[in-house]
Amino acid sequence: MSDQSVTQPARALGGMETISVTTTRRVAARVARKRRRFSPFLALVYVFLVVMSVFSLFPVYFVIQASLSGTQSLYTTDLHLFPVHPAFSNFTHVLQNPDQLRLLNWIANTFYVTGLATFLGLALSTTGAYALSRFRFRGRQMSLVFLLSLQAFPGLLAVVGFYSILIYLHFYNVVTGVSLTGLALVYSAGTVTFGAWNLRGYFDTIPVELEQAAWVDGATPTQAFFRVALPLASPALAATAMLMFIGMWNEFALANYLLNSNLTGSNLTFAVGIQTLQSDYRTPWGYFAAASVIVSTPLMAVFLYAQRFFKSGLTIGSVKG
Amino acid sequence: MLRVKRSTIAFYLAPMFIVACLVTLTPILYTVYLSFTNRDTLYHSALNGYDWVWLDNYRKLIFNLNSDLYIVILLTLLYVAVCIALFLALGLACALALNNQKIRWLPFWRVVLIVPWAVPSIITALIWRFIFQNPFGPLNQIAVLLFGPHASYSYLDHPVSAFIAVVVVNLWLSFSPYTIIILGALQSIPQELYEAAAVDGATAWQSFRRITAPLLRPALTPFTILSAIATFQMFNTVFLVTTGGPYASATSRGATEFVMIYFYNKVLGNTAGNAKLGFMSAFSVLLFFILLAATMLTLRATNLLASPEGGNHEVRWWKRLRSRLATVQPAKEVQA
Repeated sequence: MSDQSVTQPARALGGMETISVTTTRRVAARVARKRRRFSPFLALVYVFLVVMSVFSLFPVYFVIQASLSGTQSLYTTDLHLFPVHPAFSNFTHVLQNPDQLRLLNWIANTFYVTGLATFLGLALSTTGAYALSRFRFRGRQMSLVFLLSLQAFPGLLAVVGFYSILIYLHFYNVVTGVSLTGLALVYSAGTVTFGAWNLRGYFDTIPVELEQAAWVDGATPTQAFFRVALPLASPALAATAMLMFIGMWNEFALANYLLNSNLTGSNLTFAVGIQTLQSDYRTPWGYFAAASVIVSTPLMAVFLYAQRFFKSGLTIGSVKG
Repeated sequence: MLRVKRSTIAFYLAPMFIVACLVTLTPILYTVYLSFTNRDTLYHSALNGYDWVWLDNYRKLIFNLNSDLYIVILLTLLYVAVCIALFLALGLACALALNNQKIRWLPFWRVVLIVPWAVPSIITALIWRFIFQNPFGPLNQIAVLLFGPHASYSYLDHPVSAFIAVVVVNLWLSFSPYTIIILGALQSIPQELYEAAAVDGATAWQSFRRITAPLLRPALTPFTILSAIATFQMFNTVFLVTTGGPYASATSRGATEFVMIYFYNKVLGNTAGNAKLGFMSAFSVLLFFILLAATMLTLRATNLLASPEGGNHEVRWWKRLRSRLATVQPAKEVQA
């Protein structure tokens, strides 16, 4: 805010067309010099940024560090901020997919559940959101409120009901509990509200005239939906799918209740499986850290790559007039 | 608006509503039904029958001041208040720092501060559990290094420090999204306003008070309310760090046992052999109404229901509620 006083004269001068290039350059140099001068306020800002960076990076650093040190060296009370004998033994052990630590199975299961649920949830909510945005019918507003009230009942509280309905729909086995497909069904139903509201907001921003023009040219409503509206909504579809995916990837409570671990623990999702490592008194922190690094790295890479689109993505919904 | 046949509308809406009703609504209705019974056990069999007891569960919940309902809800509200206040403060500070053009390497700081958001939250909780661990956790090791051997402390075994610990974990999880949201809002404020204020001789604090704060408020309100509701329902992180503990005894309430964790522990957790399912269902239904009220107020506050062409599609009861609320508290326009 205080930089206005610095840039103000420079801008005012630059705006005048009679000023020579050398003068503007001299002004720019003066501004630059003024910027470089030490200011206690700026120093404070840097200190704050450094403190916040340590706060946000330390846990991440520590897990990477722990994954590289052998399991034993974590149980000493002399502090190592760097692994003494860096080794990949934790990684090789974890990737061998041993019993009770079926990391590869967990990842595959999680991809199956979240992928299926994201696809189902997106398909259901896209058509619904389109109807709620484009068509006018009695109870339209009521449907939106209804979806939102469903969301107000946290899924965990209705867990006994979920169990009964999944048994009724034959997604249940006495030994292994609810199947992964059943879990995906519960998840996709849970994301319908979010998807419908999010996508309706985006469909509202697409001019309806485009589809009307398609109608005039002889397209059926279904063709107008698939050929005109859906391609235009693809950025919103991608963003919604990503948010759904992240949410379900991290879901723990319902999965922990609905899935029964088999003897080797190979039928769990990652969220439930990684937690079973910690339930004992002695947690194998090295294995846990290695598994965390393996799973987080691709997810974090995608996320940090996608973050540059967040700013525009966040304003997308607010464009509507 | 597109004019289509009724059958087309039904065709588009049916899949979503069939799945929502079957998979989400039915379990909720079943829970409401259970709340009127005295069912005790989680798994039902012919051996343990249960009866319809009308509103008995609700009477026990509401009129028994010793019941955990009030304490658990108040504790959760305290947690939400502390968390949201800290999120806003820290998010605002970070966003202001990242919006300061005189700071170098802005893209670098931006990525660093966004890292906690990128870590899968399920892993975050477990990492922090290790950080707080005694005696091997790094926090204790650093403390011992700096202040000697008596400085180690079992953070998760003492009520107050466990509460602070789950606040810190949640802060780590949530300050990044707040920073990014506030940064986006800051950058959408027209620069001319600050220039005009500077010409008029406003100090940095004055232009923050009179320009930044009022223009941030409308952008932040909906996000903050939704995040408060989400924090109220928070389960994963707190459960994985403390499992609701520390507990003074096996039957008592834990110091970080917020509503969802309380429900989980009572119905599905260690004491689940004694799950008072009917009673806990009544607890869920009451909780549902609290959350529903919060959601509806959010809707009103943020005007999310408005359709782009305006128009008179509002449901009648909704209109009545709105006008009644409007008479209670006349809506103020934000002075920009």
